[in-house]
Amino acid sequence: MKKISTLILATLALIAIAASSHSGGVYKTNTGTIDFFSHTPVEDISAVNHKVKTAFSSANGKIQFSVLIKDFEFEKALMQEHFNENYMESTKYRTATFSGTITDIAKIKVSTDGTYTSQVTGKLTIKDVTKEVATTGTFTVKGGVVNAKAAFNLNPSDYNVKIPRTVMNKISDDIKISIDADYKHLH
Amino acid sequence: MKKPLILTLIFVALGAMVYFYNAYNKEHTDVSTADVLQELTTSDLFAAFDADVALATEQYAEQVITVSGSIYSIDLENEKEPQIVLQANGDDGFIRCGFATAARSQVESLQEYSNIKIKGLCKGMNDAGDLDLLAERDVILSDCIIID
Repeated sequence: MKKISTLILATLALIAIAASSHSGGVYKTNTGTIDFFSHTPVEDISAVNHKVKTAFSSANGKIQFSVLIKDFEFEKALMQEHFNENYMESTKYRTATFSGTITDIAKIKVSTDGTYTSQVTGKLTIKDVTKEVATTGTFTVKGGVVNAKAAFNLNPSDYNVKIPRTVMNKISDDIKISIDADYKHLH
Repeated sequence: MKKPLILTLIFVALGAMVYFYNAYNKEHTDVSTADVLQELTTSDLFAAFDADVALATEQYAEQVITVSGSIYSIDLENEKEPQIVLQANGDDGFIRCGFATAARSQVESLQEYSNIKIKGLCKGMNDAGDLDLLAERDVILSDCIIID
């Protein structure tokens, strides 16, 4: 009888360890999507990148992103060229990064299917200029995959992106950035 | 004297319009028909970026290249862009190749750890600097096609 109860206790302890290691780990993807959209009465411009590298820790809420600027795809090749060469200087400033915190990480049960929201705050670095940003993220857990969606707006001039006067009416000073990423637990 | 001047101006204006129309509607690089800058192994490409990322970006970014190596993983998580990851530098460095949405079934049929030759548009290295959760580095290729 004693043997059986010891075995049950050991099994329960193993399950608890497995569950805690799963819920307290790092979730990651290299195939996240970031798109941006600029609207003006003259022209709408959008671009997308499907190889966004991002990870978060479900233990402490730390969340990070890295995106290669040259890999943003535009509908028009000329726009893509101008974006890289004239505005983003993407040969020199190759990546944009974000490092921040999911404020309410304790609310997000990564081992329980459901939808959770949390503030995400942190530092966004573009062209070596770092600014604080804050937004609300929606985290949907389904079958062990955590989908995160968030959006925020930025002004290119805040990040040293110089728009020539001749095209100023075609590029918004309030660009919408949208994020969509499916994170998987790192084993 | 006035007529030839007007005609010349009209021709110049028409020429300028055609030039700007063509520039505005310039096509993206067609990887399938583009000339290849260089044929590399995955290790050689990664080593070039590892040695001097700024120099390698100048040399390879926006250039069509071929890379040969072993498939580390097939990544179909992104519905819009199927991707494969090629081994390049142990656990630290990979070549990430993105394909057109229409190539999904072709990518799906590939086998992990098999050898492959890819033609693609090099975009550079996605290294996250001091971000500790994103330590490994990827050299990115887009608009890829399978050569062999």
